[in-house]
Amino acid sequence: MTKKLSSLNVLSLCLLACSLVASAAHAADGDWKRGRVYYQKVCTECHTAKAGGPIAPNTRTMADWTKYLNTDKHAKGKEPLKMYVSREYRANIKATNKAAEKYADVPDEQLFNDVKTFMLKGAKDGDSPASCL
Amino acid sequence: MRTGIFMAAVLASMLLVSAAHAASDPDSAKLSKSTSDHTKFKALQQEFNSGPEVTKACLSCHTEASKQLHKTEHWKWEYRSPEGQLLGKKNVINNFCTSIRTNEAACNICHIGYGWKDDTFDFTSEVNVDCLVCHDTTGNYKKPAGLAGNVVTKAMEFPPGSGNIIKPIDLKKIAQAVGKTSRDTCGACHFYGGGGDGVKHGDMDSSLASPDQALDVHMDALGLNFACATCHMTEGHQVPGSRYAPTAQDKGDAHVRGKEYTSNPTTCQACHGQAPHKKIAKLNDHTDKVACQACHIPKFARGGVATKMSWDWSTGGKMGPDGKPLIKKDAKGHVIYTAAKGDFILGENVVPDYQWFNGKVGYTLFSDKVEKSDQPTRINHFEGSAGDGKSLIWPVKIMRGKQAFDPVNKRLAVVHTAGNDDTGYWTNFNWEKAVAVGMASIGAPFSGKVDFVTTESTWPITHMVAPAKDALRCHDCHASNGRLEKVPGIYIPGRASDHAGWLDTAGWALAALTLLGVLGHGLGRVIVSKRNK
Ligand code: HEC
Repeated sequence: MTKKLSSLNVLSLCLLACSLVASAAHAADGDWKRGRVYYQKVCTECHTAKAGGPIAPNTRTMADWTKYLNTDKHAKGKEPLKMYVSREYRANIKATNKAAEKYADVPDEQLFNDVKTFMLKGAKDGDSPASCL
Repeated sequence: MRTGIFMAAVLASMLLVSAAHAASDPDSAKLSKSTSDHTKFKALQQEFNSGPEVTKACLSCHTEASKQLHKTEHWKWEYRSPEGQLLGKKNVINNFCTSIRTNEAACNICHIGYGWKDDTFDFTSEVNVDCLVCHDTTGNYKKPAGLAGNVVTKAMEFPPGSGNIIKPIDLKKIAQAVGKTSRDTCGACHFYGGGGDGVKHGDMDSSLASPDQALDVHMDALGLNFACATCHMTEGHQVPGSRYAPTAQDKGDAHVRGKEYTSNPTTCQACHGQAPHKKIAKLNDHTDKVACQACHIPKFARGGVATKMSWDWSTGGKMGPDGKPLIKKDAKGHVIYTAAKGDFILGENVVPDYQWFNGKVGYTLFSDKVEKSDQPTRINHFEGSAGDGKSLIWPVKIMRGKQAFDPVNKRLAVVHTAGNDDTGYWTNFNWEKAVAVGMASIGAPFSGKVDFVTTESTWPITHMVAPAKDALRCHDCHASNGRLEKVPGIYIPGRASDHAGWLDTAGWALAALTLLGVLGHGLGRVIVSKRNK
């Protein structure tokens, strides 16, 4: 049986590809400023206090960060990074953490995307490598 | 055909999923503060290959913008002071990188224009105004050093032959995302004055891009989150609050909405008025002599970024054992010596100096005579005194240094530093060649000799306002060797220099006499009452 790509088929493929590209572009377009604040005030604060110093976004490449965030095995798999961005976590620490308090109601996915946007943008080969936190 | 239908179904479900996602997302329904979405403008839906192309697109709607900008110091880099001195970056000399002259391609990346590389720059050009450097919201707009403020849209090696590749920026994406100015956009230049993060001002560095409350109560990213323009309230692109036209004392009331003001909106009083201390009213008695900043900015460079406190050019030019230009770092990894620039002293959490300031600043310019016997040369100095009725005690950063001058003609040297040419000091480390080119650029004579003079410059401290609980306390000034120990012309109770030994003795003597009197009188009463019984 020979398969011929019908015009409908080609169109669908095109549209599909387009929508994937669009959503990928969208995914990287979080609010980097909110991501920056959360990164500084939640991630870095814990790292400085408990985990041997801050982790600057520019210490890794975009590809490394993307892989790291997709694998999501934070601190050798002890708990997923998503947990530290979740509303539940924010609710737990908001009494002592102003960022968690201010962003208490931001949906998990959205805030995670913000943090991701900041990390990718600030990566070693990102658009705006970020060293100081 | 069946695959086609399948694909269509997949596509439909994907669209549905993303639609559902959007609907479940409460923020997507949030009201946009702007009435326009720049991605929708035809003029911005094109690939841009240069900055001026973007500006042309901006001007197609914002027709008057460049004309407004042409009137600003941000564009002209020139300002005539009320005292008649011609100032602005084009004309002043400082004790950091000294002067933009002959170094335009490097320094002028912080000009809000494209292409100012030498005297031929066209200051009447509308398309050479750089809209994006102030209105970028992506944080990705870059003006690399050496390209006279131009941007890079295709990867390029710079300097040529260096192997250093400058990444291109996506002008279309940046142009479609324009918005209001922010701490990030203003900071892209103002945090980096003097050639690096925090170098020049001491109260402005990259830590203010996203500061916490302890660093700045107003700009606190999780609190009031002021942008620069919240205080530097701008109309028609004319940004108020320039250091060249400072307001040392504001006797006006807090600005009220709707009322027209000609006074500077950036002062503390423009919001807080004349009697801001509600709980301890005694503090309001200080405001006629002490600037708010003196107590409310207890230290500068508090955000973890060091500022330069001293810069000695005279030691430049040393090579390391490897024959390459020497670089030295301190224990924290801060650079404290480079062959290109000489020795630095850096400071963090610095206690300011305090001076009377009436808003007038005098400058030593290219054309002024400088005597080596009369040191330090004051690159600029704040005027004011206790008795002039216009001065307050201000916190300042004093920048000290040693810089090149022509000992025969007795003028501060304009030095050609940056540039990949035979005369640039940063390439060749030859003072005579570099100064010859610099002096020629301003039409000044040069004897061929280079010596060094010690210099001082003064910078107002006005950002990094701390929370009230961290403001200075009474004893910080009302004590021996307190913060204001050296401020002349005013009586400050408790201060060592206001301490008169004879007054103390006289006071104690009076107290002793009073006690004696009371005791004597009491004793008399007792005796008399006993006798009367
Ligand atoms: C409650 C404390 C805490 C918080 C909050 C936290 N981390 Fe971590 N993080 C750790 C610890 C502990 C480690 C492991 C350090 C080690 O093994 O040396 C770590 C390690 C890391 C590492 C190094 C690689 C790895 O996984 O071991 C990265 C990257 C990282 N964290 C990113 C983040 C980001 C991004 C956030 C914020 C979204 C965050 N962390 C929030 C505690 C925290």
